[in-house]
Amino acid sequence: MPEEIVALKTEAAARESGADLRRSGAAARVAAIARNTFREAVRDRVLYNLVLFVLILTGGAVFLGELSAAQELKIIVDMGLSAALLFGVFIAIFVGVGLVYKEIERRTIYAIFSKPVGRGEFLLGKYLGLCLTLAVNVAVMGAGVSLALLYVSGGWHPLALSIWPAVALIYVELMIVVAVALLFSSFSSPALSALLTFFVFVIGHFSAELKSLSAAGASGVARLFFAALYYLLPNLSNYSYITAAAHGRTPAAPDFLVAVLYGLAYIAALLAASTLVFKRRNFK
Amino acid sequence: MKATDERTDSSPSPSPGAAEEFAAGRAGVARRERARDALLALVVVMGLVQTFALARWLDARRPAEDPFAAYEELYVRPETARRLSLGFNGVAADWYWLRSIQYVGRKVEAFQGEFTLDDLRPLGIRNLGPLLEQSTALDPQFMAAYDFGAVVLPAIDPDAAVRLVERGISENPQEWRLYHYLGYIHWQANRFREASAAYEAGARQPGAPPWMNILAAQMTAQGGSRTVAREMYRRMYEGAADEQVRTLAVQRLAQLDSLEERDRIRRALADFRERAGRCPADWREVAPLLRAARLRLTGAGVPLDPSDVPYVLDAAACDVRLDERSKIPKD
Repeated sequence: MPEEIVALKTEAAARESGADLRRSGAAARVAAIARNTFREAVRDRVLYNLVLFVLILTGGAVFLGELSAAQELKIIVDMGLSAALLFGVFIAIFVGVGLVYKEIERRTIYAIFSKPVGRGEFLLGKYLGLCLTLAVNVAVMGAGVSLALLYVSGGWHPLALSIWPAVALIYVELMIVVAVALLFSSFSSPALSALLTFFVFVIGHFSAELKSLSAAGASGVARLFFAALYYLLPNLSNYSYITAAAHGRTPAAPDFLVAVLYGLAYIAALLAASTLVFKRRNFK
Repeated sequence: MKATDERTDSSPSPSPGAAEEFAAGRAGVARRERARDALLALVVVMGLVQTFALARWLDARRPAEDPFAAYEELYVRPETARRLSLGFNGVAADWYWLRSIQYVGRKVEAFQGEFTLDDLRPLGIRNLGPLLEQSTALDPQFMAAYDFGAVVLPAIDPDAAVRLVERGISENPQEWRLYHYLGYIHWQANRFREASAAYEAGARQPGAPPWMNILAAQMTAQGGSRTVAREMYRRMYEGAADEQVRTLAVQRLAQLDSLEERDRIRRALADFRERAGRCPADWREVAPLLRAARLRLTGAGVPLDPSDVPYVLDAAACDVRLDERSKIPKD
């Protein structure tokens, strides 16, 4: 896209945001940035991944069903929710690391900060905008899996409803990954941020190993090191309910609530850290 | 905008000849563009054709591989796969499940000789145990994999079958169906005391049906009887999540029916021999006795097995046997 068009679009977006900014306080400013981030994601065709998702789901439902020896419902849930997580993680990482960087690269950040917008508000708005994009993405994918289940079972099936707690936990996991990506992108290049976020995603699923390493550590220092890593990095296995959902099992209400609270607390800490780093960043 | 208009107005209008020349020039450019596109498309197609041909040539130069080689290998150990799955363990378990089914299916299709359901070792399905172990390590609640393993594995590697189901029990201690499978494996190996213990343990689990207790008692008293076998396969048919297990249970029930029918036919043959002092030359001679024994007969008085194929009369031995075309599993 030519730079002029980008600049014009950003200017229009900035004007729109400016109108919102005059109307009310911090919440409206954050909402305006979030709305524009969501629109930008839609303009960048981020939601096109849903087409690929539908193709995977249809392929899974129609072709794998034949091969699976009466396990088609399980396979649809496993495949559909895993695809939702995988696509979501890709969006969270690759769009998340560009949230701040793109604004700096296009120099639109000057236009934004010439308005009465705090850096924390800017980051929060960007974060919520991408979370909104992911919410639409995950909700449509969840609905797609439910519809595929209803289609394959030829009518109502309890799995169509019981997968939704797992869908919600996938969303919380993605929210954490976005917050991690935002933290890294607030001080690092997009490529490095993407790599580091991916590592955190991987290690986040190895948290049980970290815990056992901390318990079995030979020296006190090693034990302390692994225990610190365990508590410092997000425990993403708290959100792995896809396999259980495929068997019609839902997480216990306390587990679900605590996992969501853990996610929110972790996100709050990451956003605060991102703001601290971003506040000290010089754009000159 | 006004300035632009003025500039446009003041510029000299092109002569008709120049306009035609311009249009011809544009048409020429468009033609050349189309030709270039066609050439590029041709290069794409030819390139793909060439790579296909070259790949085939390279494949032909390589030593021939066992078509099942890919199914014989596990990429990683079950526990490693579980750790590496990053929350995608359900999909990975499904992948190994599909591989298990394809693996067995292809082996059965490729096998030329004779085999029975009690001994599948001639098929060379040596990797089924590890494949199912992989699948259930990735998804410990995957009941269909335990179903399939409990029924098919004992005919290949009974120890692997016991290991698989015992691990399933340790992961799902309240799942009564797993105790049923464990009891079934022990029963098949004529270990009736262990089978009874498995049924007893299963009967104590929540939601266990009352027949688990009945089977536990029957195992001790009459473990090898057909009554127990019939009960076993009937329950397996009712409770199995896997379609192939249900099919196998139906085959086994048909086999039991056939065994009972052959017993009745043998009694009828013995009656005939006692009365006539010889064996019947064909089924017609013994048809009234077979009819009295409530066997299904064709119009010509030939008894039919449960797969609707006529039984074969072995006149020399005064005995009955299954026809080669019969779908009933051989004893």
